[in-house]
Amino acid sequence: MTLTERIIARAAGRSTVAPGDEVWATVDLAVMHDSSGPRRIAPILDRLGGRFWDPERVVLAIDHFTPPATLTHAEIVGFTRAWARERALRHFFDGEGVMHNLLLEEGLARPGMLIVGADSHTCTAGAVGAVAVGVGATELATILVTGEVWLRVPPTVLVRFDGAMPAYLTARDLAMAVLQSLGADFAIYRAVEYVGEAVEGLGVDERAVLTNQAVEMGAKNGIIAPRFEGEDRVVAVDAAIDLSPSVPEECEAVHVFQVADLSPLVAVPPAVDQVRPAAALEGITLDRAYIGSCAGGKAEDLRLAARVLRGRRVRIPLVVTPATQQVVRSCLADGTLQTLIDAGAVLQAPGCGACAGLHSGLLGPGERCVATVTRNTPGRMGHRTAEIYLASPLTVAASAVTGRLTDPREVL
Amino acid sequence: MDVLEGTAWVFGDHVTTDQIYPGRYLERPLEEAGRYALSGLDEDFAGRVRRGDFVVAGVNFGAGSSREAAVVALKQAGVAAVLARSFGRIFFRNAINNGLPAVIVPDTSGIRTGDRLRLDLGARQVTVLDTGAVLPVINLTGISMAILRAGGIVPFTEARLAERRRA
Ligand code: SF4
Repeated sequence: MTLTERIIARAAGRSTVAPGDEVWATVDLAVMHDSSGPRRIAPILDRLGGRFWDPERVVLAIDHFTPPATLTHAEIVGFTRAWARERALRHFFDGEGVMHNLLLEEGLARPGMLIVGADSHTCTAGAVGAVAVGVGATELATILVTGEVWLRVPPTVLVRFDGAMPAYLTARDLAMAVLQSLGADFAIYRAVEYVGEAVEGLGVDERAVLTNQAVEMGAKNGIIAPRFEGEDRVVAVDAAIDLSPSVPEECEAVHVFQVADLSPLVAVPPAVDQVRPAAALEGITLDRAYIGSCAGGKAEDLRLAARVLRGRRVRIPLVVTPATQQVVRSCLADGTLQTLIDAGAVLQAPGCGACAGLHSGLLGPGERCVATVTRNTPGRMGHRTAEIYLASPLTVAASAVTGRLTDPREVL
Repeated sequence: MDVLEGTAWVFGDHVTTDQIYPGRYLERPLEEAGRYALSGLDEDFAGRVRRGDFVVAGVNFGAGSSREAAVVALKQAGVAAVLARSFGRIFFRNAINNGLPAVIVPDTSGIRTGDRLRLDLGARQVTVLDTGAVLPVINLTGISMAILRAGGIVPFTEARLAERRRA
């Protein structure tokens, strides 16, 4: 069995499963946020008797509508907070960062787990070798009561990156290379598993970019076999489960990329798979630059940006939304924040920030922004005529310095 | 619910949930969702679609964000089924879980807006009534069909919980 199949088999209480099988599985963790959580699920939960199957396995984070920009946001946040208090929810995070990143930081997401979440980027938790899948709010409400989810076992597509990572590339460039050559739908109903030398060398922050972007490829889940050395927070949920990488013979397809052949990339609007080399877009001038989101606001993202910005000044406004408060703490301690601020970056409160187009720096008509966020669908960060160019933190920082889309090698 | 007849509204490939239900309406109450159905692509759709009509699309319908409002909006607007070559998987689950048939038809290219269609879930086929063309449906078996027949995951779960209490 593939890594994803082994984890689903355990959760379904079966010795084996095969792609296409429909199974009921017991989840290890059920997660939600202020947009998809209590305000949507409370009435359904009440209808189903209102009792959690296991309150210890429920996580709620206020990350989307915080800090509240309107009274409506404040009402949503207030309702969510009151609901969490009433239920004495232990794993409750109130404005401390984006749920997906908190799960990894806090060690709540663990290798071998089956995780369901009411958010499409739930797949991010695959970075530590979990099968993490997004579901809708109604379905999550039923899972909170029964602890069970129905799954169709996905075939696995193996994506292999050969060669070591050069200093000018990041995991985001790898993910965009996949989208460029295989498109935004090659992995529908499939598991995407990343392997290869370049992936093995990555820490959890960078791995999380690859698994996060799996949903943009259409995948059910993205996963990487866990690395335990040097990662004290990465502890398997069950010592008996085999968490080694899948072998090609068990996978539906294997796609191989030579890292040395890749260059810094940019996904141009209106789609995540409209990918071009940054160097080919240098004529495109920009109004704003943005570093943030569950894909691009982690400590490693801020450090990558600082590498470019050290001793330089930005020419266009650069807004930085750290994914979590822990990112703020660690980047404060190692001087990263000082570097960013000295370069002219503006820091915001942790959370989803402007990524979902709800607050904290929306784009106006026709504005052009280079950003580390997850998607560039028209209207995603504000006005539907605004243009979102997705890029790595290195490319975003380099572009903020020049005021136009820039290959970071030009600046580094 | 096994046989449904409706008029087709045809859309293209990669219709996203941002287009089915734009993010700026997310803070509005779900009861109003129907007004904004597919407004990211066609501002007038919600005003013109008739109860019982079908949405027909190409590949990857409902890609992107997990917002359930996308499914709720289509249902409230009157859409009785969505036929596509493939679906964004969370949209697919949300549809089944809300009792909206999300039907995979490998080739939807022969269907035009305005065509009358008959969807037979039992026989797992779609008939284009004007031409008589019969298209196979390749999904909706097992658990997903059971949830759909129950009217969605909430009534389905209610029945399961009741069964457990009896056991
Ligand atoms: S950061 Fe963006 S993509 Fe991630 S959970 Fe928040 S809104 Fe969604």
